[in-house]
Amino acid sequence: MLRKIAIAATVCVLGVFLFAGSAVADEKVIKIGALFPLTGPSAVSGQNCLNSVLAAAELINGSYTEFNVPLAASAGLLDGYKVVIVKADHQGKPDVAKSEAERLYNQEGVFAIIGSYNSSATKPASAVAERAKKLFLCGASSSAALTERDYKYFFRHAPTDAIESAEFTDYITYLNKFKNTEIKTLGLIYENTEFGKHAADEAKKAAKEIGLEVVADVPFNNGATNLSSEVQTLKAANPDAVFGAALGGDYSLWVRTMKQVNWLPRIAINYCTGYQNPAVQKELAGDGDYFMGGMGFSPELAKNFMPEALKVQEKFYFPLAKQEFDSDSLQEAVMLLVLGQAIEKAGAVDTEKVREVLSTATFASPLSLSGEVAFQPGGQNVKALSVITQIKDLKYRTIYPERFQDSDPVFPMTPWDKRN
Amino acid sequence: MMSSFLQVLLDGLLNGLVYALVAAGLSMIWGVMDVINFAHGEFLMVGMYVSYWIGFFLNVDPLYSWIAAGIFLFILGAVTYRLIIRNSLGKSAMAPLLATFGLSMVLKNFCMNRFTPNFRLLSGTILEGKTISVGGAILSVPQLVTALFALVVLGVLYWMLKKTRLGWAIQATAMDSEAAELMGIRTENIYLLVFGIGGACVGITGGLMTSYLAVYPEVGSLFSLIAFVVVALGGFGSIPGALLAALLIGLVESFSGFYVAAVVKYVAVFAVYIAVILVRPRGLFGW
Repeated sequence: MLRKIAIAATVCVLGVFLFAGSAVADEKVIKIGALFPLTGPSAVSGQNCLNSVLAAAELINGSYTEFNVPLAASAGLLDGYKVVIVKADHQGKPDVAKSEAERLYNQEGVFAIIGSYNSSATKPASAVAERAKKLFLCGASSSAALTERDYKYFFRHAPTDAIESAEFTDYITYLNKFKNTEIKTLGLIYENTEFGKHAADEAKKAAKEIGLEVVADVPFNNGATNLSSEVQTLKAANPDAVFGAALGGDYSLWVRTMKQVNWLPRIAINYCTGYQNPAVQKELAGDGDYFMGGMGFSPELAKNFMPEALKVQEKFYFPLAKQEFDSDSLQEAVMLLVLGQAIEKAGAVDTEKVREVLSTATFASPLSLSGEVAFQPGGQNVKALSVITQIKDLKYRTIYPERFQDSDPVFPMTPWDKRN
Repeated sequence: MMSSFLQVLLDGLLNGLVYALVAAGLSMIWGVMDVINFAHGEFLMVGMYVSYWIGFFLNVDPLYSWIAAGIFLFILGAVTYRLIIRNSLGKSAMAPLLATFGLSMVLKNFCMNRFTPNFRLLSGTILEGKTISVGGAILSVPQLVTALFALVVLGVLYWMLKKTRLGWAIQATAMDSEAAELMGIRTENIYLLVFGIGGACVGITGGLMTSYLAVYPEVGSLFSLIAFVVVALGGFGSIPGALLAALLIGLVESFSGFYVAAVVKYVAVFAVYIAVILVRPRGLFGW
């Protein structure tokens, strides 16, 4: 009797699998890999990026006429293709990113990969794509080196560290000229990774151009147990300005350690780091106030310049992530929308045709601050734009450039012992 | 210049004391049972989450919630022994190692799944932002309190091991479990207790650390690596050894980080470890 039940159960299970398989096979789908650090030290940001891509896929697959976003009104792509996101986790490790990219292209058969947040992971994963002549679209990785390789299948939305560094030093020049701030020295604190090191290199170049003397150069190992020595080194050098590149938990540890030793520079500007993550800022509460950072999105900025992003956030992203977009995660959604438009323009799910469109066309992008996306040879988005914000009371206030400015900056940063 | 030196010195000592408390439990388990608990860092992470959630939902400060974290981790340690370690002892030497490695994955991914990878920091704690000045150096009170707790807990552990019948029984079991059994010591219970105490030590540390450190699923990784170094450097099973080794590690980390380069501080830590192990393979106080 038991044997009969077991055989019947096996047949049922097999039947379900076979039926499910044929159902999927009948559907017209375009598989897109979403390769992010879903576990490991950068998991918070990786999960946000994944949720952002899932939100964009939902927007593409459904019919939402109330959104003024390309691909929202029609359901799916071309004549009814649905976008299916295949998730993959590289744990923040370059070697895992490489093998996961190989798996996604070769075994999962994805048409393109979107990812991979950490520049150190994006680099080997996109090399796999280039060798296989497959598309790799990158939202947030900011290492300038990624788009200096003359790759043909790699496209990146984010402004590079070089662009951000120039923007930071432009701002310092502006402050020195119009606010008489006399910022003369610079300290750098950054994680000792592809991202951090390139950010620091670009910062040094930009600083040299405006005669800003780098008096402290402090790399650190990410996921550190403490940042006491690092902050002591900064404190001893006492630079007027600090540029920071510390992700997630390291960012909050850095801020808290500066509070602990009762020291602050006069101005602290961050690359795409824990600064941009609303969840990290919420945990830091008032301690995060007066820090600055380069951003392509903030809810405050979006109200004036990217209203559609807020609508997408409310309907698709918030239910998944339970928080607002941040600058990094939003860019991953943008890249899926750009890829969707390229497929539409190419008229086929054909890598070469889509690559050609990506390389030559300009895409409407209401979810980008510039409103448009276009790629130069090498894959960098020439329309990439970011602003400098300063956080106060958990709100990102735009302070530079002047055409986006909604608040006056607080300069110098209010010392720890003068805060409420 | 002098105040920088003092600051670096005190930072190193405070960090070292915290490492000592993290390592104490690991040292006992390793010394008594010859089992490497690969989930030790995740025990620390669980202790931090216990304290965090108690603080978040019940508004209990880490100054008090460390008790709950200690008790919870004692139970977790004891349950780990009963369900996992006991079944893997006496088999291949790799069995308990792989079993605890598996447990570490389960705990980390469970927390990742349930609590998301978000960094969680308790704000508004009693000691938050409090500092004291010692000769120009600034000490964080939450870290100082954790360090003082470490001294007290290590003192109690040492006293228990040296002066009580239970401690003698633990030492006897560590030296020769069969002989201890013949003398009427229930080694099964001793093992369970040792795993529980090991868990409680790291639970207390985690509970207190939430007053100044963000909690996230990966938070225990580097702490556990340093704890392994501390235990091997101090000598397996030796509490004074763990304390001295941890202080040494804390000072090396702090001085190399400030006077050489911040990025080499962990390199210096592991270099010292390798140097000591080459000269004295059983560690500073090992038998």
